[in-house]
Amino acid sequence: MLTVKILGSGCANCKKLEAVAREAATSAGVEAEFIKVTDMKAIMAYDLLSTPGLVVNEKLVSSGRIPTQAEVRQWMGA
Amino acid sequence: MSDVLHLLNGGAGNLAAYLAAHVLLCLLPAFFIAGAMAALIPKASITRFLGRTTPRHVSYPAAAAAGSLLAVCSCTIVPLFAGIYRKGAGLGPAITFLFFAPAGNIMALAYTGSILGAEFAAARFVLCLLFGIGIGLLMALLFWRDDAAHDAQTDTLFADKASIGPAAIGVLLSLVALLVAGTLKLWPLSATIATVNLPLPWAEAWQATLIQWVPFDAAKGEEGVSAQGSLLIVLLLLIGATAWKGLENIVEGANRWTWIALGLAATTLGVAALRLTPHAGGLQVALTGRVVAVALTLWAVLRYARRLNPEDWQAWMWESWRFVKQIFLLLVVGVFVVGVIRQLIRPEWIQALAGQNNLQGNAVAVVFGVFMYFPTLVEVPVARMFLDLGMHPGPLLAYLMADPELSLQSMLMVAAVVGRAKTAAYVGLVAGFSICAGLLYGAWVDGINPVWLALGLAGFAALLVAALAWLQSRHQRAVAGS
Repeated sequence: MLTVKILGSGCANCKKLEAVAREAATSAGVEAEFIKVTDMKAIMAYDLLSTPGLVVNEKLVSSGRIPTQAEVRQWMGA
Repeated sequence: MSDVLHLLNGGAGNLAAYLAAHVLLCLLPAFFIAGAMAALIPKASITRFLGRTTPRHVSYPAAAAAGSLLAVCSCTIVPLFAGIYRKGAGLGPAITFLFFAPAGNIMALAYTGSILGAEFAAARFVLCLLFGIGIGLLMALLFWRDDAAHDAQTDTLFADKASIGPAAIGVLLSLVALLVAGTLKLWPLSATIATVNLPLPWAEAWQATLIQWVPFDAAKGEEGVSAQGSLLIVLLLLIGATAWKGLENIVEGANRWTWIALGLAATTLGVAALRLTPHAGGLQVALTGRVVAVALTLWAVLRYARRLNPEDWQAWMWESWRFVKQIFLLLVVGVFVVGVIRQLIRPEWIQALAGQNNLQGNAVAVVFGVFMYFPTLVEVPVARMFLDLGMHPGPLLAYLMADPELSLQSMLMVAAVVGRAKTAAYVGLVAGFSICAGLLYGAWVDGINPVWLALGLAGFAALLVAALAWLQSRHQRAVAGS
């Protein structure tokens, strides 16, 4: 069971990132819990310069862009 | 009933006039430039100058550059602002960044230039840059104790180094050239090279129908819809429909619709650069210098874009599309509403309140800017309306300085990151500086002796340098004492 966090204040890119991550998890058959982090202080704790950020098991894997589904699957270890 | 119809007509007329050639030639490239900046400029190429150890004469200009190059959207503004403040250069540069970002980014400047004129865009840029740095320095002075007690956590957030690839620079420069070729109203661009008469007998009737649909009063500064404008609106709708299919999932790769949408966008630019004049029995198509310039720059964009690697290219397309989705709809609705409201405001009111460049006029403009919140870029058509209704350019610039910087959204954001006392100080400073900016620009428009103006600006710059020196020594003492 993975914990996937989406960091972002709710702008268009964060929604897109969430959709990409969810699709990647489904297509890879990975069970994951998705958490949206919108609080600025909590986001800054991950050391990123621009949202959206993607965190898999407490590790920041991407920030400031939307990764492809293939990349996300790789980070999820599938 | 006829009153309502009259209002709606005002809105539709305003909207149609905005979608006309000169605005499209500015907005369409601007969206692509904004997308390219967001996707192709690595953030570390600028943010490495924003670390805590960076000297002030580097960090303040870098903060302004970050505002103008990186921060077209709030997704970047908020984390970067919080990052510069808490883990980077401190409160001053963070405030400079926050002040400069909404007014100094390429979309705001290009749009201001095409709607209000190049002079306004230049004044907005220079005064925002100068006052943005000034306000940042003042905030750092006021709250110097706070900066001395910085977040002690060491981190590498601002240590990364990166540079922009040559292909990305080529794309950016040719896009800027495209923007310039599309918007400048100069001789080789506006000259007619050749004209062709197309035997389209319905063209004149169509133009008459358009005028009937959207009646306009040229004396009030209103613009109607031309036959060319209607063609452009159709092209825009087609781009919207194809882009939805072609760009929504661009991160996973391009498809057939992507190329159709991009081809349509290029066609739109070409058509907007032509001059179409309906006359009895046909349509006259004038090939202008602008068409040649637009075609050349488009070719340059394509040439450099082909050298980008696929991820960069796709990220660029996605960011541009996202800006279109985010801003264009708001702009369309905003422009429509401005057109409706314009029918209700009497020019005498505006002239009485802000028709002259004095303290009262500028203050009224700033207060209006603070309390009215317009979404991104809608402040520009609002400003155009005020200008047409007789507002003096000075107060108008004051309003343009205050409105985007002091929106409710930005105040809440500043308050969440830095607290209420600093937010109050920031709001006060911005209001004061905006009034000054309006008075200065207004005096310049009224033809004040440029020597006085230069002296005033030099005095301001000297004040800034003095403040900087004081801040530096205070900091050193604070560090030595701790």
